[in-house]
Amino acid sequence: MNEKAEELNRVEKKDLFGSGHRACGGCGQALAARLVHDAAGENTIACVATGCLEVFSSPYPDPCWRIPFLHSLFENPAAVASGVEAAYKALKKGPVNIIAQAGDGSTADIGFQCISGMFERGHNVLYVCYDNEAYMNTGVQRSSFTPYGAWTSTTPMGNPTRKKNLPLIAADHGIPYVATATVDDFRDLQRKVKTALSIEGPKYIHILVPCPLGWGHPGELTVKICRLAKDTGLFPIFEIIDGKVTNVKKIPVKVPVEEYLKPQGRFRFLFKKGVPTEKVAEIQEIANQNIERFNL
Amino acid sequence: MEKLPLGLAMDLRKVVPYKTGSWRTLMPVNMMQTPPCTQSCPAGNDIRGFLRVLAEKQDYEEAWHVLTRTNPLPATCGRVCPHPCEAGCNRRDFDTPLAINSAERAVGDYGLEYNLKHKKLISKRKEKVAVVGSGPAGLSCAFHLTKRGFQVKIFEANSEPGGWMRYGIPSYRLPNYILKQEIEKILELGIEIECNVKVGVNIPMDHLTRHYNAVFLGLGAQMGTSIKIPGEDAQNVFSGVEFLKLINSGQIIEVGRDVIVVGGGNTAMDCARVAKRLGANVSVFYRRTRVEMPAITAEIDEAMEERIMFRYHTNPVKIITDEDRVVGLLCGQMELKEPDASGRARPVPIEDSESIYPAGTVIMATGQAVDYDGIEIQKQNDQWISTNENLMTSIDGVFAGGDAVLGLETVAVAIGQGLRAASAIEDYIEGNVESQLAPPPVIYSKDLNTYYYTQEKRFSKEAVSIHTRLKNFREIYPSFDRQEIIKEAERCFSCGLCFYCGNCYMYCPDNAVKISPSTGKYDFDLDFCKGCGLCAKECPCHYIQMTLER
Repeated sequence: MNEKAEELNRVEKKDLFGSGHRACGGCGQALAARLVHDAAGENTIACVATGCLEVFSSPYPDPCWRIPFLHSLFENPAAVASGVEAAYKALKKGPVNIIAQAGDGSTADIGFQCISGMFERGHNVLYVCYDNEAYMNTGVQRSSFTPYGAWTSTTPMGNPTRKKNLPLIAADHGIPYVATATVDDFRDLQRKVKTALSIEGPKYIHILVPCPLGWGHPGELTVKICRLAKDTGLFPIFEIIDGKVTNVKKIPVKVPVEEYLKPQGRFRFLFKKGVPTEKVAEIQEIANQNIERFNL
Repeated sequence: MEKLPLGLAMDLRKVVPYKTGSWRTLMPVNMMQTPPCTQSCPAGNDIRGFLRVLAEKQDYEEAWHVLTRTNPLPATCGRVCPHPCEAGCNRRDFDTPLAINSAERAVGDYGLEYNLKHKKLISKRKEKVAVVGSGPAGLSCAFHLTKRGFQVKIFEANSEPGGWMRYGIPSYRLPNYILKQEIEKILELGIEIECNVKVGVNIPMDHLTRHYNAVFLGLGAQMGTSIKIPGEDAQNVFSGVEFLKLINSGQIIEVGRDVIVVGGGNTAMDCARVAKRLGANVSVFYRRTRVEMPAITAEIDEAMEERIMFRYHTNPVKIITDEDRVVGLLCGQMELKEPDASGRARPVPIEDSESIYPAGTVIMATGQAVDYDGIEIQKQNDQWISTNENLMTSIDGVFAGGDAVLGLETVAVAIGQGLRAASAIEDYIEGNVESQLAPPPVIYSKDLNTYYYTQEKRFSKEAVSIHTRLKNFREIYPSFDRQEIIKEAERCFSCGLCFYCGNCYMYCPDNAVKISPSTGKYDFDLDFCKGCGLCAKECPCHYIQMTLER
């Protein structure tokens, strides 16, 4: 038992998602992709939807992947991964880790029916969503993961709706494992990937990845912003195993949401000459609801 | 072209990565910084260095060698130093500063217990240097000169080496056998010593300047100065210096039932605590208040713990004698007025406020001066030796340091001056131009990313109960548990030096931080680094910094 726990907690660095990609400096998604694939190991097939990750990591002739890589359309990474899994079954090959992955637009909007189908059919696939809260690849358009009040190019006055809670929707499909994570706690993230891959059936991991360009913060703050998202209660960290919410990451010292909003350009208009407007109070209310709901 | 299996566009294992380093405008560099502990240590000890050795390797021997690079008296300093390093420690803004002083003592004691030897740096030279006085300044200067290969001879006026550490500091603070062993270790390097020789009296100064290439004067300030009140020549009136010297030479003094110590410096505290151990009721009379007392705070606290009375705003006017023996002290009350030249409030007597206090012994610890008997040298304020910035005095080739130059200071300050004088003497003999490299910038709390540190309890040393400690002259802090000191060393932030936390390695989105195969340290792969600054921001100890592109 102890050996297994040690194996899960060990930090992995194998550079399977290597140097030389074209992501912006301080990109959260590039960091998350490396952490996920290093945890998964060499015996992995990456099925990646169109999006930032695909664009910056795979241009010919020098992609940065060191494992088999499949590029799919915006809407169907889950369907492609399901097909890969079915093919392995038919050929009686394996076992192999199949990771379907996409950004938030592909996951929450365009590709949602494929994901729902994959969960419902029960394929042995890990689905990883890199959530940067807008369509960053095509020019910062609003997605249904964009949080309340955030600026995007299609919501210049701030997003009027609240973020879709996909981890809970995924859990309601009755899949065995759902988790949320951020890039700041790499131990926790890699442990969750390894735990997920050790479970048979469809799994879903939701990772918050700051986008310095779209969020309007310096690249050096990527990790700090993640930490603030957790500590304000805006992004709860938990696991759902067999339908039960467990391992909720408690907030050590609660931080007011202003500290999370202020360094980010997309929330700048919520402050008039440094004084928060009433929208900030509404965002604080969302954070408070999260804290109460998940007992953070 | 190589033939690939059907459907495979390219072999991903054979890709030459695209070099993204050309995008960079700022680049990360590993920059060692001066930690605030070393900055505030008068002896310039590598405190972070020896604490990291303790924490990472649990190796007391190596820690001792790191520490004795600058300070040849770690066991002594670990006991008597007022540790300004702890006031500088960046951990003070996080939880509590490290117990650096206790760690130093533990390392020093280990060196004595396992009889570790100092390492000599280079082979012998023919130049000779005379060191006058074997106090901390003289010993430190002799030690560093010998390590540089010079032939050093020490002249000591007393019968045993150690200067004020031997004859001034009472043994409940610094046991004699500890000091003796540490001095023996220094002398083992090949330093000649001649005791009972007072330069200026037994041999003239000219003799030294003629026969040696350079001379270092570590005279100390071991002569009590009086405040000139009637009755001072009575029996049982001592100067503080005289009293401590008699006690430390092993003489027994009948102090009587009541002892009054006049003064507020470290000598006054030592005299009071010694008198208390001789069984008397002791009061300290000081003409200002506790705030203005020049003594080390911990010393005052311990004296108060030992139930020594403090009477402030009180100034002696006359010693009352009966058949040439002290029976009492006539004192006047003072009030404090605007600050004087020293920055302290100026005491002014209140009229008709005199009263008499009974006393069997009066100890006047009211100031110390240098004993210049037979030494002609230029002075500042007619009191301390004047030197230039290289510690050279008015006589060519004669250097000076320690209390005789600075006024009353600590052991660590004297050790630091000895080291400085040793480099100055080396430059003087070799005819070098004195050149000093600027040390790296000091790192402060605001530069650190303290998210990655956890709050932990500070090591606290346990004193012997007051009841037992007043019965004898034994040390009041028994030796420490070595494992606990290692735990304390693990609290060190390692400000400005990598401690292999791996944050940069794990957080780099471009995998541009590599482990160097030759050194095993983290290094930047500038072919791929985009200069985002994430590693610098998440480096806990500010070792990584962003600089302009070269």
